[in-house]
Amino acid sequence: MKQRRLKIIAASVILLSGFVVLVLSMTKKESMPELSPAKLVANANSKDNQNVKVVGVISEESATWDAANTKLTFAIREPKGSATVNVVYTNLKPDNFTDGGNVFVEGKYDAAKNLVVATKLTTKCASKYEEAESATTQKSAY
Amino acid sequence: MFIEKLVESVQGVTAELGQAAIWLSAFSAIWAIVMLCIGLSQRKSNAVQSGRNAIIATFILITIATGALIFGFVTDDFSMMYVVEVSSAAQPLLYKITALWGAMSGSLLLWLWILTVAGAIVVWQNRKASDTFADYALIPIAIVQLFFIIVVTGLIEGVYNPLARFPDGIVMPDGRGMNPLLQTPSMAIHPPTLYIGWICLTVPFAFAVAALMSGRIGSDWILRSRRWMLFSWIILTIGITLGGHWAYQELGWGGYWAWDPVENASFMPWLLGTAYLHSVMIQEKRNMLKLWNILLITLAFQFTLLGTFITRSGIITSVHSFAQSDIGWYFLGFILASTAGVIGLIVHRWQRLKSANRLESLLSRESAFVLNNWLLVGLTLIILWGTLWPIISEAIQGEKATVPEAFFNKVVIIPGLLLLFLTGAGPIISWKKITPNNFRRMFLSPIFVGLAAAAVAWVFLAFRAHAAAKAPTEDAIPNFFTQAWKFLTFSESEKLLWLPTPIFSVLCVFASVFVLVAICSEFYRGANLRTKRQQTSFLNGLWLLIQRNKRRYGGYIIHIGIVIVYIGIMGSKGYFLLKSDNLKLGDSMEVGTYQLTVKDTFEEEHENYLRRGVVFDVEKNGQQETTMKPARHYYDQAEQAEEEQGTIESAIHAIGLNDLYIALGPLPTKINTDTYFNVQVYHNPLIKVVWIGVAVMVLGGIIAIAQKSDPNSRSQAA
Repeated sequence: MKQRRLKIIAASVILLSGFVVLVLSMTKKESMPELSPAKLVANANSKDNQNVKVVGVISEESATWDAANTKLTFAIREPKGSATVNVVYTNLKPDNFTDGGNVFVEGKYDAAKNLVVATKLTTKCASKYEEAESATTQKSAY
Repeated sequence: MFIEKLVESVQGVTAELGQAAIWLSAFSAIWAIVMLCIGLSQRKSNAVQSGRNAIIATFILITIATGALIFGFVTDDFSMMYVVEVSSAAQPLLYKITALWGAMSGSLLLWLWILTVAGAIVVWQNRKASDTFADYALIPIAIVQLFFIIVVTGLIEGVYNPLARFPDGIVMPDGRGMNPLLQTPSMAIHPPTLYIGWICLTVPFAFAVAALMSGRIGSDWILRSRRWMLFSWIILTIGITLGGHWAYQELGWGGYWAWDPVENASFMPWLLGTAYLHSVMIQEKRNMLKLWNILLITLAFQFTLLGTFITRSGIITSVHSFAQSDIGWYFLGFILASTAGVIGLIVHRWQRLKSANRLESLLSRESAFVLNNWLLVGLTLIILWGTLWPIISEAIQGEKATVPEAFFNKVVIIPGLLLLFLTGAGPIISWKKITPNNFRRMFLSPIFVGLAAAAVAWVFLAFRAHAAAKAPTEDAIPNFFTQAWKFLTFSESEKLLWLPTPIFSVLCVFASVFVLVAICSEFYRGANLRTKRQQTSFLNGLWLLIQRNKRRYGGYIIHIGIVIVYIGIMGSKGYFLLKSDNLKLGDSMEVGTYQLTVKDTFEEEHENYLRRGVVFDVEKNGQQETTMKPARHYYDQAEQAEEEQGTIESAIHAIGLNDLYIALGPLPTKINTDTYFNVQVYHNPLIKVVWIGVAVMVLGGIIAIAQKSDPNSRSQAA
């Protein structure tokens, strides 16, 4: 009886620790800091060549859309501030992409160019549909 | 004319009436709680009856309030703040009504209304009950109702009363209108479906609390709330799938699941509910896991509220992030307070919650059930960890961080495959302890057939991976064995969790076929027995078999549905093709074996939007397959001229079980022969299989729910 319980406990412990190790190591591997443009600029060197998530608003009149190369370039600025980070995104321009709209991007940061090469770009509606649960996500091919 | 005048004069009155009804419902909910507590503790049947009546009264009052809001939508009452926020005169009638859940205030009112319906149904179902057990369950239901009533009254900052009107009699000329993205049929039914699923979880939770309060901790509470639980599970399954289907059709990124916090919030209660549906069987059969079941249903219920906390508090950046407000923190407060209440009751009833039996062997049906529960709860915790990582990381590292979709895919795949295996192993392993005979009879053939299928899949995928690799690398001295080794170890494939990705497909094929063979032989054995005993046809025998034990065989059908969903996910998530390109009129592109050519552009006027797009000719091996018309919708004419944006309306063409999916980028206002069209084309293999699998799961659920909890099984369990 005792031995049987020991077996059950041992199996549980092994299973549990296996998962804990898996989850922790994957968290460590995949986790990326979520920053505002000002914070990213302030810590540019420590974030160079790292995956980051930048949350801010689309800087007014910064966006250019190169249809021939499917390339969107724009700047994310601090919602209440002047710090900006440049973004390049080679994919379809998402719905709701408007000046002053909320946006977050995920991608690798290049400190020298103050540029995020985005692999994911998510927009949220600006003022008009503020309350509605609207948003669109676009992803590029990994 | 007369009717217009009448509507106009009634409009203001109905809104005021609705507000009054909400305030009154707070009193009826409090009345229900107080009267039921007094009546049950002092055994006064009059007070209990009064409490029941109050539950019905709450239902009537909230129905009036909801009706008043719908009336405001239908009659375009732009003196009401909420109507202005999510509706407009031009909005089609269907979307005027669905605007009820177009934003937060109305969603909360809908939530509350469904909860009062549930309360009324519980009263009605137990109107002839010989005991007071269900009356105990009405107390927690009324407490949850009271919480939602307080939220809806508009006392909390950031959430206004959905029936509130603008001050000083202001009437807006028109409403702002609902977001076009939400004006689709699947978005019209997805939110209320999820709400119904979540809210129905309140009832089994209430019965668990009733068991603790009354001290009747047998299997009674489980049996009495069994159909509620199953109903909730079926509806949640449908609701989650509708959400994925909506995203697939509307958002233009070719996928249906991205581990977004809101998706996770809907998925976690489902996982916990699934765990609970299994663990209660152990309590019924073996009188074990009593405490665990109560904890599990409490957790499932709390997770439905946690979803609101996550999405509304603004602490997590999500695709869905709604307007931020304090409401999330009220939800968190309620979660903590109600959990503390349940823990208090558990401590109070500690002696009666001990198990009568223990696990006897690692290899037994009980263990399979326990492992299933561990995996489901473990998955929930893993997903919760990933979802809350922004908060956790800020607390421990001082820096907010998030994990991407890839994290979730990596951490769920192994527990997910183990669970898949268990859906076949669980039903065929013997109770108490596996015997060599049981193993030989039940396990050998599923394992062999599974291995054979896996071997075929292995070779097939190796060929596929080899063909997909662009430049096959040649060894300096070609060696057959090293080549074969490279070939079979998928050396050219991408890696997932240190293993080549196709290995997981091979494991998935093995587990799927194992489960299918195991479950189908269960059906075959049972049906064969009936056929012989009743001397009837095999199909009739199968029908009788399912008829006699709907719960069990309905469950098996759900398991088959799960296998089908896994196969669909494997195909669509693991082997989709994505190509982006810029094309002018007459240009072509290739996706897999398909050739797409831009033939033409088009423009169509619709009721409240303009549809513009591109016509593609799709050919396969030179043979015309179809034409596809991806488009963009422009809801606001002025906006179109200014921004040329619109919303993506993907074209989806089904080829057998696979989909060809085209999303179109923004279009310029003037199109000529030099205009570039940006397109993203996906080939999504087996995506239809996902929807079919869910349909099978729902069918199994409906069969299982058809079985009444008969008193015989109750006495057996006791």
